[in-house]
This record gives sequence, structure tokens and C-alpha cells, in this order.
Amino acid sequence: MSLVSMIGPRPNLLGHHAGTHYRLEVSQPILTNAELAKIRHISGQIGGAFRAATIDTTWVASEGAGGLEKAVERICREATEAVLAGRNILILSDRAVSAERIAVPALLATASVHHHLIRQGLRTGTGLVVETGEAREVHHFCVLAGYGAEAINPWLAFDTLESLRVTEGMPLSAYEVRKNFIKAIGKGILKVMSKMGISTYQSYCGAQIFDAVGLSTAFIEKCFTGTATTIEGAGMAEIAAETVLRHRQAYGDDLVYRDQLDPGGDYGFRLRGEDHVWAPDTVADLQHAVRGNAQDAYKRFASRINDQGSKDPSGRLLTIRGLMEFRAGTPVPLEEVEPASEIVKRFATGAMSFGSISREAHTTLAIAMNRIGGKSNTGEGGEESDRYVRLPNGDSERSAIKQVASGRFGVTIEYLVNADDIQIKMAQGAKPGEGGQLPGHKVDKNIARVRYATPGVGLISPPPHHDIYSIEDLAQLIHDLKNANPRARISVKLVSEVGVGTVAAGVSKARADHVTISGYEGGTGASPLTSLTHAGSPWEIGLAETQQTLVLNGLRGRIAVQVDGGLRTGRDVVIGALLGADEFGFATAPLIAAGCIMMRKCHLNTCPVGIATQDPVLRARFTGTPEHVINYFFFVAEEVRELMAKLGFRSIGEMTGRVDRLDMRRAIDHWKAAGVDLSRILHQIPAREGVAIWNSERQVHNLERALDMELIAAARPAIEKGERVRITRDIRNVHRTVGTMLSGEVAQRHGHAGLPAGTIEIALRGTAGQSLGAFLAHGITLDLQGDGNDYVGKGLSGGRIVVRQPFGSGRDPSQNIIVGNTVLYGAIAGDAYFQGVAGERFAVRNSGAVAVVEGTGDHGCEYMTGGVVVVLGETGRNFAAGMSGGVAYVYDPAGQFTDLANTAMVDLEKLSTDDPADDPEAPVAEPPSVTDNGMGDPLRFDAQRLRLLVERHARLTGSARARALLADWDRALGQFVKVMPRDYRRAMQELRAERNALAVAAQ
Amino acid sequence: MAKPTGFLEIERRDRGYRKAPERVTNYEEFVVPLGDEATAAQATRCMDCGIPFCHNGCPVNNLIPDWNNLVQRGQWQPALRMLHSTNNFPEFTGRICPAPCEAACTLNIDNNPVTIKTVECAIVDKGWQEGWILPQPPTKRTGKHVAVVGSGPAGLSAAQQLARAGHAVTVFEKADRIGGLLRYGIPDFKMAKDLIDRRVAQMEAEGVEFRTRVDVGRDVTLASLSERFDAVILSGGAEQPRDLEVPGRELDGIHFAMDFLTQQNKRVAGDSEPVAAPTGTLTARGKHVVVIGGGDTGSDCIGTSFRQGALSVTQLEIMPRPPEMENKALTWPNWPLKLRTSHAHEEGAGRDFAVLTKKAVGVHGRVEALECVRVEWVRGPGGRMSMQEVPGSALRLQADLVLLAMGFTGPRVPGLVEQSGASLDPRGNVEANDRDYRTNVPKIFTAGDMRRGQSLVVWAIREGRQCARSVDEALMGRTLLPR
Repeated sequence: MSLVSMIGPRPNLLGHHAGTHYRLEVSQPILTNAELAKIRHISGQIGGAFRAATIDTTWVASEGAGGLEKAVERICREATEAVLAGRNILILSDRAVSAERIAVPALLATASVHHHLIRQGLRTGTGLVVETGEAREVHHFCVLAGYGAEAINPWLAFDTLESLRVTEGMPLSAYEVRKNFIKAIGKGILKVMSKMGISTYQSYCGAQIFDAVGLSTAFIEKCFTGTATTIEGAGMAEIAAETVLRHRQAYGDDLVYRDQLDPGGDYGFRLRGEDHVWAPDTVADLQHAVRGNAQDAYKRFASRINDQGSKDPSGRLLTIRGLMEFRAGTPVPLEEVEPASEIVKRFATGAMSFGSISREAHTTLAIAMNRIGGKSNTGEGGEESDRYVRLPNGDSERSAIKQVASGRFGVTIEYLVNADDIQIKMAQGAKPGEGGQLPGHKVDKNIARVRYATPGVGLISPPPHHDIYSIEDLAQLIHDLKNANPRARISVKLVSEVGVGTVAAGVSKARADHVTISGYEGGTGASPLTSLTHAGSPWEIGLAETQQTLVLNGLRGRIAVQVDGGLRTGRDVVIGALLGADEFGFATAPLIAAGCIMMRKCHLNTCPVGIATQDPVLRARFTGTPEHVINYFFFVAEEVRELMAKLGFRSIGEMTGRVDRLDMRRAIDHWKAAGVDLSRILHQIPAREGVAIWNSERQVHNLERALDMELIAAARPAIEKGERVRITRDIRNVHRTVGTMLSGEVAQRHGHAGLPAGTIEIALRGTAGQSLGAFLAHGITLDLQGDGNDYVGKGLSGGRIVVRQPFGSGRDPSQNIIVGNTVLYGAIAGDAYFQGVAGERFAVRNSGAVAVVEGTGDHGCEYMTGGVVVVLGETGRNFAAGMSGGVAYVYDPAGQFTDLANTAMVDLEKLSTDDPADDPEAPVAEPPSVTDNGMGDPLRFDAQRLRLLVERHARLTGSARARALLADWDRALGQFVKVMPRDYRRAMQELRAERNALAVAAQ
Repeated sequence: MAKPTGFLEIERRDRGYRKAPERVTNYEEFVVPLGDEATAAQATRCMDCGIPFCHNGCPVNNLIPDWNNLVQRGQWQPALRMLHSTNNFPEFTGRICPAPCEAACTLNIDNNPVTIKTVECAIVDKGWQEGWILPQPPTKRTGKHVAVVGSGPAGLSAAQQLARAGHAVTVFEKADRIGGLLRYGIPDFKMAKDLIDRRVAQMEAEGVEFRTRVDVGRDVTLASLSERFDAVILSGGAEQPRDLEVPGRELDGIHFAMDFLTQQNKRVAGDSEPVAAPTGTLTARGKHVVVIGGGDTGSDCIGTSFRQGALSVTQLEIMPRPPEMENKALTWPNWPLKLRTSHAHEEGAGRDFAVLTKKAVGVHGRVEALECVRVEWVRGPGGRMSMQEVPGSALRLQADLVLLAMGFTGPRVPGLVEQSGASLDPRGNVEANDRDYRTNVPKIFTAGDMRRGQSLVVWAIREGRQCARSVDEALMGRTLLPR
């Protein structure tokens, strides 16, 4: 990724002077005062290539709010004139801000000029630089960039830093302080860009990938042309009024602001700051309600959240649904409304991983949801298999929803078969575009075991799923998971945004049984601050669009729609249902019921109530019980019932999608809410005959056509009696996901341990369809003579896959691809031998499997956390990027691997050769079990391990390359490079030291 | 929060007291400050919670995590400014506030709250000591005149806020010194009175005019104030004490706590006996004292009695003994009902709960004993608790001096309140809401105990500040004063 920015006019590539043009290159877009001064005075330098003009973006305070619009017009006019006068760098500057002059919001000034110049066809004739006191947080810089700023000088941020440096007596120089700030902001911008899938600042600049929430169309069209805005809202007048207000606070004689500004309260509740739904009173009322089973406390809690916009208690407006009201219907008696015990079955708790929260908290939620027939969610961290067994008292700690996220931590076939729903997390409402991150100090031995990782090594879920680059890929993953567990519903979790409806339609067509629309309100306390305030979108917007799109395309009936992200009360549920949700997810509220007090320190492992921590001392402080959670959900359900009775609905099904029963709240007493218009959210697609508006149908998965149906029938004696079976079949590319349904059957009976190695041996001939051997269970061997497709051995769970060259093909295995892209993605156990080259992204996120391949494409072993990979040929670029565990051996006779490896996290080493053979930690000939790949201590025994694997590869595939290497082994050995992740080595050394200490203590 | 694990590493340590035998020989404050370093260490325990419950638990909404953070980094002066931005008189609350903030502290879930009150007190004490606290006279005068009737914490905070907003404020006080209950209700050993004098001097420099010995309603009519001033704030407190209505109440030696405490504070202030005790000396010297009422005023009576040389002090409370520890799950972060042992109890007082006084008996018109009975509290139909005497549980307590500290029923009505024509709420307080603090009479506002009934100093400060904002808005059409 790159922050390089180009300032100045863009050349006409087809013009006469193409190639002679100057542009100013900066290595990153944040300019210090000195750098800006250079640009300002650049005229006359460099042969007069650049001529800068500064445009003042302030207006006279005496004009008041009315002055803003005029100021924006003037700025745009001056920009035009400057460009026409040959000025090719414009500096928009609010330096003149003072008690007498008010600054136009920098974003407004920038975007207005940007679009004004585009409209006039002049934008490419000039560069745009912003000199502003406003920009200080990552988001500020990102929106400025998104609306055209090629460089930004945050002068007030620098002034503030300098003042802090002096008053706080920091031991840093002024230069260092500035440098640190610029570095931090730069990293933040990179992070945001990566979330949006953009890798260069130049592409990000002007890309305006933002949705506006609460701005009027007229205003957007004028100043932010092309940005989506769904609910209308404030325009120039309101922005002006707010700008004046801010100016007055800064320069007025307000006593409070005499010496300092308010703490603000954006990130943590402060009374005079930003309103938060979760405040001391709401948290306390909810906790007292669930602990004392006190209806009155719940009612207080709910009314504090539901009664928005009213005069009392404080008239705070917090959510879009707070601007809605119900259209009255004919009430029905409360007794006729479906019972709360039915309603709660539609409730689910949020995806919080075991790892991010403690076992106590995680199982409390699971037990509670299992008792009431709702669903709890594993999150992305796997699940301890002891939880699949019921407790003596009949309770179950098994999470009904198993999440499959990009990290694929703990996603084994056993995990998948123990699911009622399998949820593919495409993104998370609270931090869209970001993968989960578990810092090393939260990865204790147990967490590491469940996630098949190394204790003490941090875990990063990559932002994308490496097996999903298109909707077809997603359909494939849905199919794979459905094969793994045909009884489970496959769900796709999406983030609310403008355009999510189209994605949801794709998801429905891709045969998902369930889709979740996740809003931005929910959120983990561990969300990065840049994601906390301006990432994601309210669920009302995404849910309404989803419902409208699905109904319009006749796709609604076959998919269940769930909404989550900040649901707290019965009213929230009813509004969700009316907008089109069948089911409802809650995360923060049940956690608060179980004792969370919103410390927002989840990433520090210091949670004082024992929830977001793995520290045994702190975990002992956890006081939540399943009853607390159950009480909460029943309170919510009873509130839902009361509202349903009032509205005249007897069941949630009747209510789902009845957006005609919602209206915008009249008489909203807030000066900024006047322009809000919810009609786009409250639009109802006209009913059509035979088109369902709620989940009343089923998806067709076509599993009966799968090859696995035959395989399962043939393998019955093995599954049921443990007899060895041999199956031989021809295979074609329509046979997708072969071996997976069979693995599900095995795991259903035998768990993760599966069957003894080689119990089911399947010989295949031909070309396999995608996902051959996905989640293949231990005890199954797939021996394919032919070609594999993409995703071979995805999520490999202990099985063995061999792919050999087709009979009589005569092609050179080292030069030809034999398996496709994203092979062994998320593999956990088992082994694979490919007599040929694999495509790109080989063994990404491998956490335990052993593989030998004769060459790979780009990005091999990315994000790998365990296992062993041997490459007997060339690799592509970016090998081992983000690799934090396991080892790889690459045959590199030409000495080119150093340039291909990404060594940010790994070292490239020589192999160790003189280890004792009879050491108990040495590798063994065959893997002893599904949890032990028999590879021994990864810090030692390189030569033994490699030889063993190459021999095995030769034996299983008949590889000529392997034989050749073995024939001249000593020389070959010297041409292998070992890839060793640094963190992994450290953690391994620590573990060894710990073992030794224990051994000494035992003596 | 520079140290996320501070709460796990540093033990809670609060200010200590000087030893009881030593402290009862005088009327000086006996709380021993921790010192800068230890205070900063305690501030390090603050976790900077995402939802700082303390901030809401505090009636003036002190920005507790923010100044804890500053103190921990040694930034005392900015901490002082931040503290003063929400609380006019932290040196009062830092001494006598029961600290609902600490009850609300997240670390109080397992009984180890941050010593917030100690940090607060240290900040402001340091501010005075370093000379950082200076008058803040307004830059502009509004030409508006405001009268504040009553100079307790509500009146003082309202006056200071209004003066800083540029109004000409006159504070009327019927007693001879400024401060209301702060001056004469709270013993010197809990809060030294030069703290009030210092604030009064600051406020005078900010333009506040103080007029003592003016009993509005008697010496001047409220109507005349209404004429002369653009607004009048009634902040006269809830001075009507709850009486003990039993046979023998008329006996000599049975007194309201306030009469007793006031005399002593005047003596400590250097007043001669005729000035301090114009209606005759009340003293506990050589007496068996019974204090009726288990609250803070009761404690003050105990401490004062011991310092005067009482032979014994017994405190009676009609309510049952509260639990040693509250049910955290159902109370936190709210103020818990639990047994509170004050410094006065440590000085040697006996305590008895669920005791009802039936009769005072005496000889020659002087009280000698109280006849009491034990009571039981039972929940009746409708959930209301009611009291039943326990048969055969009568007891007799020797008593030479009986001090009534059973709380206050509301403002004194005759005089000021009566004249004002302001309507009263069902509890007998002057009626006004806590948004605009206006009574039903034009120009007349009310704040503090007079409006909300007996309460804490910190609530009075909140009311005074918020009332000042309402007055400012009423006079100027807009206001910059914070709520």
C-alpha cells in the first residue's frame, strides 16, 4: 500500500505535451507547516511549473450563519478564477480564523471546490491542498482525502501537540512529536483504505466512498455530488448554525470554556457531551431489572431508550428509529398474541468469540439461549468440544450458531456439524472491513488450543475471506458449508450500508438460508477508535433496503432476514420486524445483563467484571448467570407482545415487513431534525401475488445430486463399524465439495478425532469440481489422479488428500498447475500431497496441516499460524506475509526466494541438520492423531522432518522431483530455506522454558 | 489512564484519621491528607471507564476520570481548573460529602472504589496552598441585580456563578456569619471555617456583596427585595427540625441538634459565651448524652459531645440496623443503604437500632432518662413497612442531655416563605422544578434544601449552579452558564 500523493495538475495523456508535465510528489499527504510553506512559495521555482494560490475559507463573524453559503460561493468562484489564471495548486486555508472570522468547515470547503471544479471541467487542471485547523483524527483526514484533498496541513493539531509537549514536559523534540503524529495518522489512513479495499492514496483521493446519514439531497448534490443519502436531513442552514455555535464556544466568554474545552464524550460517556444510549442509568436499570427480575426497572430502562424526541426525560434523539412512530391498528387482546416463549426463539446473541470474552461469559450466554430456544453465537474463535455434551442438569453450553470468519479459527468439520446455523461473517457492523484481532496476551493455552494456534502469539483475522472474491465464491462457500452440515441453515452476515440490498439479493440467489444485516450501533469495546464513530451505518437503512430489494426481486420468501446491531428493547424488535426482519440479534444488551459495564477496555484483558478477559483473577469476578440473560429476553419479548397487541398483530410472522404500519414521528423538537425524511426507509414495495414478504419458503440446495450421497452409502460400514472401505469413482468438475458431506457424517459420529487413518480410502479419477476434500475428516483419504480445482482441502480437518498427475499426461509437474487457488485455506489438521504446482494463496491461514507441493503461486502461506508446508519448486511473490506460526521449507536452488518472501514477520534460515534421531520431540513417520501431526519440535529436526515429508510425498504421488531430491539428498538439503515466524519462535522458546522449569520443579 | 492495570496493582488507600483520644481534645480537622505522591498513586487506580458511573453518581457531575488522569500525571493545575468547572467549592465536598461518586465507582463492585473524594480534596487544597485559586471577576457587567436569600452552599454557588456572569449579586444571611449549615451545622473538626471565609473573600473580590444579620421576611420584606432586584433566589434551606412528640418533651435538657452544634461552632470561632449561647449554655460536659437520630447530624452531635467532655454518648435509631454490606447486584451504582460507621462512633459512642422513644422522664423539670421500646418493622399489605412495638422490650436509658437529630421536615414557613406567596409541594418544600427553578411567583427562584428538602451539600451546590443558569437565562435571554 502507498500513501504517495501527487499534487498539482494531471496531464492530458493524449495531449501534445504528454510526458513533459510536472507533478509534485509527496511521500504521504500530511504536510507540516514548513512543507506547506514550500508549496505556497513554489511559484518561480522548478522552472515555474507550479503556481500556488491560497484561498481564504473563513467569513466575517458579523454575518452570522447567513455568511456560510456566501462564503462557499465565494471560495468556489475564487477557485475557478485562480485555475483560469493558471494557478495549478490551490490551498484552501482557514488560517485566518479568529474571533472575528468563522471558518467554513474544511470538508465542506474542500468538497465544494472539488465538485465545483469538476463541474466546470477544471479539476484536473489544479491540485488541491487543505490547510485546516479542524483535521485531527484519522477520519477527518480520510474524508478530506475522499473528497479531493491531495495534501492536508493540520496546523492546529501541530500547534496543540507542541503546546502539549511543552506543558507536559515530554522528553521528545518538536520534530519527533510531529513525526509521530504524522506516522500515526498515516497508519490510520492506510487502515481505512485497506478496509475499503483501496491500496493507494491516489486511488482513495476523490473516491468519496462514504454514505451520508442525515444530509439533504439538495445540499449533497451541490457540495458532495454523488454521495448516497437516504434519510435527508440538514442542509447548509443547519451546518451554518452549528458552525457558528462552535465558533462561539471557542471564542465566546463561556465560563466553562475559558480554560479548556469540554471532554466531549464521544468515546466515553460524559454528561455534557455526546449522548449515548448506554449511559449509567440505562446500564444500572437493566442490571437491576434482570438480577431482581424487576419489571419496573426494565420499564424505566426501556422508556429511557424508546421515548426519544419527547420533552421528557431529556428529549435526546439517538437513533433513526427514534424518529419513527407506529400507525395505529385495531388492537387485539394481549392473550391472543403469541407467547413470549415463542418470540424469544427468534432471538440470538451476537458473535462474540471465546477468546474475546471469557469462558464464563460465553457459556452463560449459550446456556441461556439454549434454555429458551434462542441461539447463541460462537463468534469466530471456535468452540471447546466439551461444550457439545450436555451438562448433567440438562443444560447445554453449545452455541447454536457457528461462525465462519476470515480467520477460520477452529472451523473444523466437528465444529460445523455441531451447528444449527452456520454464519459466514462477511463483515461486522461495528467495524466493517476489519478482521478480528486477538492480542497475544489474551491468547492463553486454552484459547490457543481451541483456535489451533500458539499461546502468546496474537491472532489476526484477515479482512477478506481468502476464498471469497466474488458472489460466486460466496455461493461456493455456502455450498461447502451446507455439505458439511446439511441440517444447518447457512447464514451470511452483511453490514448495513447503501447498496446492501443488492448484496443481500445475491446472497439469496447464492442459496443462503439466512442473512444478517448488521448495524453500526452495536460494537465491541475492542473496536479501534477509528471504527467506533464513523464506520458502518444504521441498520434501519440497510434492513429497509434489503427488504425492498428482496421483495422486488421475489427473493425474500426463501431467506430469513435477521437484524442486529444495537437492538435493546421490545420497540426496537417491533420496528425491526416491521422493516422486514424475521429474526433479531442482540449482543451488547445481553452482555450487560450478564454484568458488562461498558468499560470499553476489552482489548486490554483487564475487564474488571470478568467478561472480556482471560485472566483467571478477573474471570473470578464474573457474576452473570443464565437467568439474568433469560430475564432480559423475556422482558423484551413481553414488551414486544404489548406493542403487538396495540398494533393488532398476533404473531411476528404477521408483522414482518409491514412497513405500512410505521410512520415518521411528527413534531420532532430538534432544530437539526427538521429536514429528515424517512420515506425512502418506510417505502413499501407493492404486494404481488405469490411474492412472500417474510421467510415462508425454503432454499433448494440440490444436495441429493452430490457425489457424496454415493460415497456415504458406500462408506456406511466404515462410519458405523469402523471397517476399512475402498471406493473408486470417476469424478467430473460438476462434482463439487466431494468428501465433505461424508466428513460431516464421520464427525457426527466420531467428533474431531474421526476414524483411524486410512479407514475410508477413496480413489478418484478425473477432474474434480471446486472444494475437493473441504473440511475432510480424519480417517478419510482422497487420492485423486487428475486435476484439482480451487479450494482443495479448504478447512482440512484431519483427512489426507493426494493429487497426482493424470494418467499418461506427460506434462512437467513442476511447470503445471495441478490444484487451483486458495488450496488448504484454513486447514486445521491432516495432510496433503500435490504432484504439481498449486495456484495462488496456497495454505493461507493454515493452522496445523502438513502439505507438500511442487510449486505455488503468489501469497503462499499468508497468515499461516501452524503446520508445515514444503515447496519443492518455485513460489510466487509475497510468500509468508503475516505468517505468525508453523514452518515452511522452500527448495530454492536458484537463490531467488529471498526476493519473493515477505519477511515482515518471518526469518529465512538454514535448516538444522545435526539433531538426535531418538529424541522424544523428533518427527515420527506417520501422524499419530488428528491433534498431533507428528512433526515434532519446530525449532529443531529440520532435516529429519523434511526428509520424512519428501519421502512420503514420493511414496504417495510417485513424484519424480521428490525422487530426484532424495537421490542427491545432502546437496538438496543445502538448497532448502526454512521460513520461521519470529513470534512463533519466541512463543515456542517460552513454552520450552516453561516445560523445562516444570520438569526441574518435578525433580 | 496511563496504567490500565493500576487497579490490580495498587491497593486502595484512603486518608486516615488522627487517633481518637488525641483528636477529641480539640476541634481541629483530624483527617490526614495522603500527600501528592500517594494521592497520585490512588488516582492511577482509575480505569477511565467507557461509562464512568462516578461521573453520574456525583450530583455536580464532576469530571472524575479526567482529573484523575491529570493528577496521576502530576498536572495539578489543569486538574484544579477541570474540577472547578463543575464544582464551585470542592474543598467543602472534599471534606464532608458522603461521596456517592465512590459508591458508583466501578471498583466499588468489589468494594475497592477509587478514593475519589480524597483526590478531589487534594486537588483543591493544593490549589489554595499554591495560590492558584484567585477571584474571577466578570469582564463585563450586565447591570442586572440578583438577591440571594440564604448563604448555604446553594446560595453561595448560585451567587458565585451569577457574579461571574456579570450580575450584581447581594447575598442576605440572617445569621451573623456567612455559610448557613456549613458554618453552624457542621462542626469545625469536620470542616474548618476558614475555608468558608476564604471563599467569601474570593466572592467579594468577584463582586458579591454579603449582608449578614438580615432576616428577610422579618428585617426586610421580600416584596421590597423583589422591587429592588431583577431576580431573587430563595435558598434558605430546610430548617424545620423534626420534633420528638412524646410526653416529657418539654423537660429541660432536650434540645434540637442544631441549637447544640451552633453554640459550639460559635465558641470555636471565638465568640464570647453570651454571644455564642444567648439562650443559655448547652453542654455535654459531665453528662450522659443520648442522641436520637442515626444520621450525619447525629454523628456531629456525638463528636461534639465527646469534645465537650461527655461521660457517655448513646445514639438511637428508629430504623432497624442496616446490613453491613449492601446487595451490590441490586444497588450498584446507586447509593446503598448499609451500616455506616463514622469517625464519631469510633470515638466511643454506643449505638442502638430499632428503638422507639416513648417518654422522657425527669426530676425538677430536668430530663434524667428516656423510656424506650424496641420495634420491629414489618411489611404490611401493599408493601409498606410499618413499625410494631416488641412486647416486653421496654428499656430505660439514663440521659442528662438529649439531642434531637431526626432530620428536617422542610423549610421554615413563617416569615420569608409565607411572605413570598410561593406555593409549596406536597412535602412542604417550595415548589419549583429542577429545570428552571422558578417558583410560581414572578422573579422568585428557589434552590437547595428549600426546594428539594434536606439533602447533601453537593446537591445544594448543583441546585445553586443550575438555578444560576436559569436566572441568567431569564435575565439575559441566553446563558453561557453550565447546567
